Amino acid sequence: MTATPVLEARDLSVGRGATAVLSAIDLAIAAGEHLALVGANGSGKTTLLRALAGLDRPRAGEIRWSGGPLPRGSARVRAIGVLFQTEPPSRFTVRELVTLGLALDGPPDAHARACVETAIADGGLTALADRPCATLSGGEAQRAILARALVAGPRVLLLDEPTNHLDPARQAALHAWLDRRAPHAVVLATHDLALAARCDRAALLHGGRIAAVGAPHDMLTPAHLATTLGVRVRRLDDPEGGPPLLRILAPVPEAA
Amino acid sequence: MRAIAALAIGGPIVATAALCAGSTGWHAPWQLTSVLVELRGPRVVLAGLVGASLAVAGAAMQTLLRNDLADPYVLGLSGGASAGAVTSLALRPAMAPGPAAAIGAATAALLVRALARGPHDPVRLLLAGVAVSSILASATGLVLTLAPAAQLLRSTSAWLYGGLGTPRWTELALPAIALMVALLWLAINAARLDRLTLGDDVATSLGVEVARVRRGAVAVAVVLTALAVAASGLVGFVGLIAPHAARRLGGAAHRRLIALAALIGAILVMAADAVARTAFAPREVPVGLVTAALGGPFFLWQLQRGPR
Repeated sequence: MTATPVLEARDLSVGRGATAVLSAIDLAIAAGEHLALVGANGSGKTTLLRALAGLDRPRAGEIRWSGGPLPRGSARVRAIGVLFQTEPPSRFTVRELVTLGLALDGPPDAHARACVETAIADGGLTALADRPCATLSGGEAQRAILARALVAGPRVLLLDEPTNHLDPARQAALHAWLDRRAPHAVVLATHDLALAARCDRAALLHGGRIAAVGAPHDMLTPAHLATTLGVRVRRLDDPEGGPPLLRILAPVPEAA
Repeated sequence: MRAIAALAIGGPIVATAALCAGSTGWHAPWQLTSVLVELRGPRVVLAGLVGASLAVAGAAMQTLLRNDLADPYVLGLSGGASAGAVTSLALRPAMAPGPAAAIGAATAALLVRALARGPHDPVRLLLAGVAVSSILASATGLVLTLAPAAQLLRSTSAWLYGGLGTPRWTELALPAIALMVALLWLAINAARLDRLTLGDDVATSLGVEVARVRRGAVAVAVVLTALAVAASGLVGFVGLIAPHAARRLGGAAHRRLIALAALIGAILVMAADAVARTAFAPREVPVGLVTAALGGPFFLWQLQRGPR
């Protein structure tokens, strides 16, 4: 990879109180690349996404955006869009919520309003556009937040458990949407191995460190998943070269 | 927009009615006596300014704390302002009480914040507000008891339960200018305040300079509360009722919310003052008793509906 990565963590360490949550993370995301973060609960996936979004001040190391600091102000939403797990229900309608994803430079003009309608339509939210967000189901609220993250056309999308609240049809729709390769890069934290298998690269997080990073084909192996996730997995490779099928069998027995 | 238009028309009607309603009966507005122009005119305008200021301070605090029950009176800012104002009058009678009221309100805000440890537990926040309010009320009461009455600008009951008195037109300039500056700042930052209601992390990810906007909103709440209290004593619950009504009428977006809350607050206090002057005429009831009679039950209703 010779081009400057669009988003990069360099020797990143993040801590909460006395405990280190992330240590010595080096990770570069290229333009348009899809990267999956795979790891057990507490392995640091969400913290890494938060640090990449500039929400947690690193204890050491830094986050670089195209070789410089993270953009601020109105440039921010055109750089990075985020979907996090914890967002309280808001009083806004879906359309108002999506509008809040626009850049902070004055009231929205006709073009911006058209972007809002496109994002609503792409998210399958047209029928819900005037509903208050507090009345939405978990999956609907998540789609509204995703539409808000996309409305300004960010170059990188950070998604924390994007398939978590989604029904099977919506999960498949999200997979298909990612496969269509929109121009933005995607970094997603997920327990959904089928989703991780569709990405360009997967990073395995274990105890706040990157245990390994590479093509999903090489990362999502029974040996790797046993150490990082603590599960026994049966893997069936697609003879036509598609993403492998992974079936979780049982937790790895704890060492006595 | 329709709600704003209706209120913008309703406001002057209430103002005119309030102007005509006096302790001794009703006067037609075309009989422009000196009573109407020199005594009641500034009082009605001050009622509007106080109501709008408290309503806007309440709206700002509700956004800052993400809590619908936040209000300058409930969380002790008004109590801090009154303690500061009466202390200043007792010690330095020649000085205007506004700056000391602002220091008092800011102190109360810092105390409540320290005690509540962040906005995330609404019950803790309200309890901290109650505690700080009582401490400051006792301080105010002590000063009011010990200081010479002539130095205190208005009666003890007017400080504790609100009283608009008979202001001169020139006394309205400072509260009016402060309200205009605050409304301008809020209008410029309305889109940022909208994002702030989604939580600090989400707001940051949407490009909001959270710390700066928070500081500005705190300053708005402190200054508007201080000037309202310095001008009229403790008028409670306006900052609770007006933003709630504004949200019901115009939704959660701040551009409309702030304008509507200011209008509703102004109308509410003008109407409450008209009631205060006429209900037991020729005796006058403190205006804060009227707003508390409305606001107390409203607060309970909100409380039993839950914090959101």
